[in-house]
Amino acid sequence: MPVVDVDPDELRELTGHEEKSDDELKDDLFGLGLEFEGMSEDGEFQLEFAPDRLDRLSVEGVARSLRYQYGDASGIYVPDTNDAEWTIEVDESVPDERPYVTGAIVRGVDLSGGALESLIQLQEKLHATMGRKRAKGAIGIHDLTMIKGRSARSADERVSSPKRRPADDRAAEPRDDGGTATESHDPDATDAAASNSITYRGVDPNGDTFVPLDDDAERTPAAVLTEHPTGEQYADLLTDYERYPAIYDDLGLFSFPPVINGRRTEVTEDSRDLLVELTGTDQWTIDRMCNIICYALDARGGTIEDVTVSYLDLDVEKPDFETDEKVVTHERIESTLGIDLTEDDVLDLLGRAGLGAESEDWGEQGTDYVVEIPPYRTDVLHPVDVVDDVGRAYGFNDLVPRYPDVSTVGGRTERSRLERAVRETLVGLGHQDLLNFHLTNEAENYDRMGLSAGSDVVGGGEPATIAEPYSEDYTIVRTWALPSLVALLENNTHRAYPQDVAEVGFAAERDDSNTGVAERRTVAGAVVRHDASYEDAKARLQVIARDFDVDLETPATTHPSFIDGRTASVVIDGETVGVVGEVHPEVLVEHDLEVPVAAFEFRLDALAD
Amino acid sequence: MELPQRELAVLEAASADEPTPIAALASATGQKPETVTGAAFDLEERGLVAVTEDTVADVELTDEGERYRADGLPEVRLYAAALDAGADEAPVSMGAVLGAADLEGPEVDIALSNYARKGYGEIASGDLSADPTADPESDAEAAALDRIADGDPIDDDVRETLERRDLVVVNERTVRSVALTDDGVDALMAGVEATEAVGQLTPEMLASGEWADVEFADYNVEADAETPSSGKTHVLRATAERVKDVLVGMGFEEMEGPHADSEFWINDALFMPQDHPARTHWDQFALSEPSEVDDLPADLLERVESAHREGVGRDGDGYHSPWTEEMARGVDLRGHTTSLSMRYLSGEAVGDLEPPQRYFSVEKVYRNDTLDATHLLEFFQIEGWVMAEDLSVRDLMGTFTEFYSQFGIEDVRFKPHYNPYTEPSFELFGTHPRTGEVIEIGNSGLFRPEVLEPLGVDCDVMAWGLALERLLMLTHGFEDIRDVHGTLADIDFLRDTEVVY
Repeated sequence: MPVVDVDPDELRELTGHEEKSDDELKDDLFGLGLEFEGMSEDGEFQLEFAPDRLDRLSVEGVARSLRYQYGDASGIYVPDTNDAEWTIEVDESVPDERPYVTGAIVRGVDLSGGALESLIQLQEKLHATMGRKRAKGAIGIHDLTMIKGRSARSADERVSSPKRRPADDRAAEPRDDGGTATESHDPDATDAAASNSITYRGVDPNGDTFVPLDDDAERTPAAVLTEHPTGEQYADLLTDYERYPAIYDDLGLFSFPPVINGRRTEVTEDSRDLLVELTGTDQWTIDRMCNIICYALDARGGTIEDVTVSYLDLDVEKPDFETDEKVVTHERIESTLGIDLTEDDVLDLLGRAGLGAESEDWGEQGTDYVVEIPPYRTDVLHPVDVVDDVGRAYGFNDLVPRYPDVSTVGGRTERSRLERAVRETLVGLGHQDLLNFHLTNEAENYDRMGLSAGSDVVGGGEPATIAEPYSEDYTIVRTWALPSLVALLENNTHRAYPQDVAEVGFAAERDDSNTGVAERRTVAGAVVRHDASYEDAKARLQVIARDFDVDLETPATTHPSFIDGRTASVVIDGETVGVVGEVHPEVLVEHDLEVPVAAFEFRLDALAD
Repeated sequence: MELPQRELAVLEAASADEPTPIAALASATGQKPETVTGAAFDLEERGLVAVTEDTVADVELTDEGERYRADGLPEVRLYAAALDAGADEAPVSMGAVLGAADLEGPEVDIALSNYARKGYGEIASGDLSADPTADPESDAEAAALDRIADGDPIDDDVRETLERRDLVVVNERTVRSVALTDDGVDALMAGVEATEAVGQLTPEMLASGEWADVEFADYNVEADAETPSSGKTHVLRATAERVKDVLVGMGFEEMEGPHADSEFWINDALFMPQDHPARTHWDQFALSEPSEVDDLPADLLERVESAHREGVGRDGDGYHSPWTEEMARGVDLRGHTTSLSMRYLSGEAVGDLEPPQRYFSVEKVYRNDTLDATHLLEFFQIEGWVMAEDLSVRDLMGTFTEFYSQFGIEDVRFKPHYNPYTEPSFELFGTHPRTGEVIEIGNSGLFRPEVLEPLGVDCDVMAWGLALERLLMLTHGFEDIRDVHGTLADIDFLRDTEVVY
């Protein structure tokens, strides 16, 4: 889960609650679902949280949530935006694999103090989460003054007063502003949008060069992927691309998404005007990532300015601050939280969750709330998510637990009862009960037991195989349990004998069933002592057969893990279900064992009624 | 006649003329006094001896008594000094005489009071006179101190005086003495032989009745015996059994199902988006062989896909993530047993379920991780859920508070959390029963409509999960999970672990 470093002093400053002690802040944050993990070296809180509220990946977002929690803010907030002066032209050369782009201009932002650091952290955390390690969405932030638009107007011609959206006071009432396409804007704005432009396009990997961040040499995109540390890290994302994504201004290539920005447009603490651009595989995803960045910069005093994204067949205005709407019933809120609330309570709680809300009274049929969701929220898919927000605003830990008045009859599966009974019998016979891993490797499971995969003996089945294991030691699911017992004995040769051991456990092998895996419970036991013999193992089987009232026969057989002439099939009620014998000296020596081992293994279900 | 050796020895050492104390018999026979006492009573039961009891007063000098024995009694020393000072002629100043007698502190009063009592002289207005006829050599109390030190008896009156003066302590004890009866004498005259001491009680002895006449040799019962090789239920298994007992007691029924399962049941049914970071091979064990299941329930597949793409309900939204049936067909070792919950809730496992229901499992799950002290590639997940018409967060809290209190974990706190498949969701925190530390003890929530509606469930279901190993480490204080689980386990560790009940 993401961990975000948040400076408590900045939190106090941004919330306006200078009086809050560190401990009070920690408690308040726990209530939001942010768990204090420890202090960083710089004295920042390290907060861990689940990746639903990505808007809280920065100190600005955390502060916003706290202000709602403290009651300092209420209802939905959507920043005003100025009309677009910049256009991102989407060229037809853009790689098919990464067709979408979005962005925003932010002016007058103050990145001094911790603000730049916080912005960089937010960018990284968004990459790691919603951006799926930049595959789904990648963010580039640039110093706008370093970018030369194709038909740039001088700065003083810029529209200086923010153009208001239709509804002015958005915190107080729901907005009716769905349209973001260019058509909804006046002709002047369209002119302005055309005045500066940059281009999102595809480039020859070995074509144009640029100087990437943290570098001082001109490199082609392909060279960046092999020569620059950041390039090496993200090279995999572009493996199948014929053309690489790139963003150009009049001076040339300045951004190589999703890998790295150019050094020319690098953002510093002194940068005041920023270009935010995002590319990705899903428009909604990058739009939301862009919104989260814009909200954070808004909290740093920035003014958001629209950008026109000009696709081949459609112009759209970004950032997309359109709000979403959910209808939730009063009854659902009460039944989920298990408490009675008035309509005013609910409206107050919704406001404190940062949501816009209006109630609709349907008389007999109860009350509904029409809830408006701010555009930085990515997690509200269904009205239950609104109910959760109400619960958080109320304080879940203020709810009093009650044992549900629901009566049911408990019980265990037959197999689980049988397993326990067989285990008890084995323990009664003096076997140490074992609990081994189900995962192993081919050497342990077959080779070192003298066995090969695909042979028609106990344990000889083909294994279910892990596609991409981390560890060479755990690559397959064991096909039988005896190798686990022998491995444990190998690790305990320094311990006192006898070491009679047993396991009632799981084993599986491939078959032609629906999942392709036949799973079974298996009973394995070993008598391990200086005078262990076939008779000892057989004797134990006899006890088990007697206890579970089954008929046991042991016709002679052969098995590569056992000594010929001292090996038998375990036949229970006429069906061959396992093997019993003296373990072959080659297997013993292979496992550094200096005592004989008599062992058996058979299917647990053979003992079932 | 035959007697056990210990009795025979006592019989032979005892006398008919005079009772012999046990202590004397012990040194005469070379047996312990308690053995002799036991033998004497056995012999008395046979009528061969009489055991008598006397109360004996043991007199011992106190530290003060010892000192006076060495230095002389204070009054005697005072008399000697008084004579030296000529007090037998005429009274002398008391102060000078006390100094000469080297008396100080409490000894002064002791000296003066006994001086007069014993007639060594008189004391009047600070002057001291001495009686020239007094004889310190014949002071009975001084003599008695010496006799006590030598272990000789003393006169009762003197003893009482000394006791009053705290110069001696008197301990009374019972002394048993043994004397032969006439039968005893007769038996000895007729001849008595020792029966043999027996090491092991045998079936033959029991059958023949020989046991009644034999003597059993004493064992050193305090010595440790060799510890037998024994079997024991594995501590983690025993913990699983305990958890199952608790859950069955709370009305939960057990689930079972495949370890290798389709991603559909493991992830898609749980409304986990297909591009969720936990669905990469870095976190889950995808199988290469087999790699795909043949069949998935077609209707359910369609409903689940629709939930992912479009959401459920009037204004529900889906994910903005890709979704393919191919991915749903992939076979994994399950990363959680919630796949079983999905199979049961859908009706796939045991047919359609009507509320109310409670189900649980304590089964293995698999995570592609690095093995270390607190992480295993496979571990047991405790999974449980409750299905009912109306369930609230309070019901969830009440159920889990009850469950954890069974393991001594109180004060459960609920941290609002996010899971793709539950809403509201909570991480559960509790206080470690031993260290008092607040630690995460589980994850819980109410299943989302996007999970339940495709499964055809139209009531509420709350669920929770917890690693069994975590519970064990909490309740047992284990530090390295590899000691417990897997082939690296030390068999002595398993043998020595306290049982779970």
